[in-house]
Amino acid sequence: MKYDFAVIGAGPAGYVAAKKAATAGLKVVMVEKKKLGGVCLNEGCVPSKTLLQAAKTYHHAKHGSIFGVEAGSLSFNFGKAHAHKNSVMDRMREGIVGLMKKNKVEVIEGEATLIKGGFSVNGESHEAENILLCTGSSPAIPPIPGIEADHIVDSTGILDNEKLPEKLVIVGGGVIGCEFACVYGSVGVPVVVLEAMPEICPNLDSEIAAILRKELEKKGVTFLLGAKVESFEGNSVRYHLDGESKETEADLVLVATGRRPNVSGLGLEDIGLDFDPRGGVRVDEKGATNLPGVWAAGDVTGQAWLAHAASRMAEVVVHNITGQKDQMRHDTMPAVVYTSPEVAVVGLTKEEAIERGFKVKTGKIPMAINARYIAENPGETGMCKVVLDADTNRLLGVHMVGGACSEMIFGAVTMLETELREEEIEEIVFPHPTTSEIMKDVFMAVR
Amino acid sequence: MATPVIMPRQGQSVESCILTEWKVQSGDAVAEGDVLAVIETDKASFDLESTASGTVLELFWDADDDVPVLANVLVIGDEGEDVAEFRPAGTGGAEVPVVDSTTPNPSLPATETPVPFSSGTPPSVSTASNASSVGVSPRARKKAIKFGVDAEILVGTGPGGRVIERDVDAFIASTPRLSAAARVRAQKDGLEPPLRGSGIAGMALATDMREPGAIDGADVEQVKGIRKLIAERMMQSLQGTAQLTLHSSFDATACQLMRKKRLADGESKVSINDLIAKAILSALKIHPEMNAHFLGDRLAVFHEVNLGIAVDSPRGLMVPVIEDASKMSLEMLSSEIKKKAVACRDGTIQPDDLSGGTFTLTNLGMLGVENFTPVLNPPEIAILGVGGICVKPKRLENEEVSFVDQISLSLTIDHQAIDGAPAARFLQTFVNHLENHPGEDPSNIEGEE
Repeated sequence: MKYDFAVIGAGPAGYVAAKKAATAGLKVVMVEKKKLGGVCLNEGCVPSKTLLQAAKTYHHAKHGSIFGVEAGSLSFNFGKAHAHKNSVMDRMREGIVGLMKKNKVEVIEGEATLIKGGFSVNGESHEAENILLCTGSSPAIPPIPGIEADHIVDSTGILDNEKLPEKLVIVGGGVIGCEFACVYGSVGVPVVVLEAMPEICPNLDSEIAAILRKELEKKGVTFLLGAKVESFEGNSVRYHLDGESKETEADLVLVATGRRPNVSGLGLEDIGLDFDPRGGVRVDEKGATNLPGVWAAGDVTGQAWLAHAASRMAEVVVHNITGQKDQMRHDTMPAVVYTSPEVAVVGLTKEEAIERGFKVKTGKIPMAINARYIAENPGETGMCKVVLDADTNRLLGVHMVGGACSEMIFGAVTMLETELREEEIEEIVFPHPTTSEIMKDVFMAVR
Repeated sequence: MATPVIMPRQGQSVESCILTEWKVQSGDAVAEGDVLAVIETDKASFDLESTASGTVLELFWDADDDVPVLANVLVIGDEGEDVAEFRPAGTGGAEVPVVDSTTPNPSLPATETPVPFSSGTPPSVSTASNASSVGVSPRARKKAIKFGVDAEILVGTGPGGRVIERDVDAFIASTPRLSAAARVRAQKDGLEPPLRGSGIAGMALATDMREPGAIDGADVEQVKGIRKLIAERMMQSLQGTAQLTLHSSFDATACQLMRKKRLADGESKVSINDLIAKAILSALKIHPEMNAHFLGDRLAVFHEVNLGIAVDSPRGLMVPVIEDASKMSLEMLSSEIKKKAVACRDGTIQPDDLSGGTFTLTNLGMLGVENFTPVLNPPEIAILGVGGICVKPKRLENEEVSFVDQISLSLTIDHQAIDGAPAARFLQTFVNHLENHPGEDPSNIEGEE
């Protein structure tokens, strides 16, 4: 067959691109070797958020007495939480199937290989004028002795674990590690997180990361910072900390040490595509690779590792294919940690802004000055920080921890995308009482 | 007491200097000797130093203004002093207040009328002085007001150049939406947006803003100072003279032997270029008609040679002049050429040393150039270009062919002033000198021709 546009991978880059290109009138095919929805729907965002909500509900019930909610005997049925998770995933997958059908996108199940001028799948070759490579990523497994044991799982494997362990050890205190620490910690499982760096989530503003760490500690999570795992033997996890070799026991271990782009088995070497096994497929700000007609988006490019970034990259590619000028702006890409409390950030940290040569001014306020926040999140610590360019008063970055701040970060994204300055933001009206008012009040603290 | 700083006279022939860059602004404290501005004559650039200490009260000129020598450039004194008496005629002296970048200025609200931009393509903008001579149509004006465009500055395409609605539409279409921060940069730094910005739906962001006249994929800078002068002079040269280039070459063997011998004898080192300069002087003694200025209705043939030497300096091409070179020994000539070239490269050359040439030597041999056509430095009527060494076969007296080092020559003359044959005879004499008497004084070989 001959297609206008072939999409390899049906994750948040793939199905968004396929739908958009089909809407623009292109003849589109999408190839997927596993399930529609990619890592996001099947192994990442969607299932983990369902489990996080289950854990949060349990936690609220257990600690509801401050609101006068006294739950007598309380139990947590992990199996039921998984059933809900699976039903959400099924429903979302059906949604994608329906979306593809409605937009007349042909979906092929199989493993695609890129060839010159097209792709081959299930033994058949097809031509495609443009190809979008969006094969996602997989958990990176570090070469630690004993890591192949059955009780040691990655972020995909832990989603199938329906039995609460006696104790959970998480290797890696990044976003994924923190989210699972929150799930298990909230339902009463002792959790130990071994993080090699001096602070968790090294990409976050360090003050925000420290607040998140202390909040998770309140949920029974122990963080061992600067700990390097040496080996696994039986249920023992051996690690190096403060110049000493130590060990801890766990009947479940999650290895969450980052992800690697899926670049093998796709014939990329054969067609001469420029890629790096660790860094991914190299693309420009339009998503173009070194080969004309071959584009890439999402985790396979090693940029961002975020579902919404993947969708946007895919959108940029389709715009460029269909003659609409567009380009990626990674500086305005929001990032969220879906723990309780949530962390939501967009733009530059103070350190990054200084490094880029901006004359910087900053402001920060505790979320506890906000009525709605303290009413809903008693005893929790939250913070909102802003970074501004002192020359133009332009907002450069917003960093929040507290409550459900992921729901209001888009406001900050809009401000950054349109390069609003302090003067303009002051005139924006925020509904009262909402936690979002913190985004207005923080500017009173700017200096 | 307020003291004016004047534009110094940079050499006898200089009547004005271009103020290329201010180094201070009003309100700055300066001490005697501080650099106030960079100025340029048509030959070189200099620092304008302060002759007084105090506060800069007013700058009378803008960067790139051509300032007459001895005119007041700025005034230094105590704050609040009246400077009106020092203001030169023809300068406004009205300064644009500088917006303080660190504090939000309440007079610059976000909703301010957008600044209209000329974006380098069709919808052009006229200068204020000649605008609206034939007016703006009522429809165009209504639309312009609605979109915050100043219709008066647009160039109209209506009858007689009247600004009509489509001119306003074209201007609006060519101007991207500016982010709030981009607008600040436009107002504060005078920057312009590209036709399409990198922001949301093509919005121009602060980082997209660029100098007026910017071109995608290129570094663009104003042609000014020495570059501008070179450009003007080169165009004048090619448009105002009848240039003819004669090509020849000479056998460098004698020059090379002579240099070796000098080294062996413990004499000072001279370059091939020095020997070439000496040979020019020698040949001009025999062909003085080549040492001349063509002045349209008059032809001035000079008694002495002021030899111009083209020098590649960081500021661009400079041609320092060795005055009365015809009177110099080889050693003196060599040392003068070196001294003047170093002064050009260091930027310490004096303007008077850059004018008055009667014949010019330019050498690109060291850069691997074999042949080129030099451009005259009018009103001079000849310039000799020297290329690099090439190995060429040569038939010897015993009929055998041998390979020798040859250096190519390109003599450009002004055919208005002199014909090809006399110029060729000059070249013959010149080649003969280098092949047989390199470095020798003209008097020693006079009469040989």
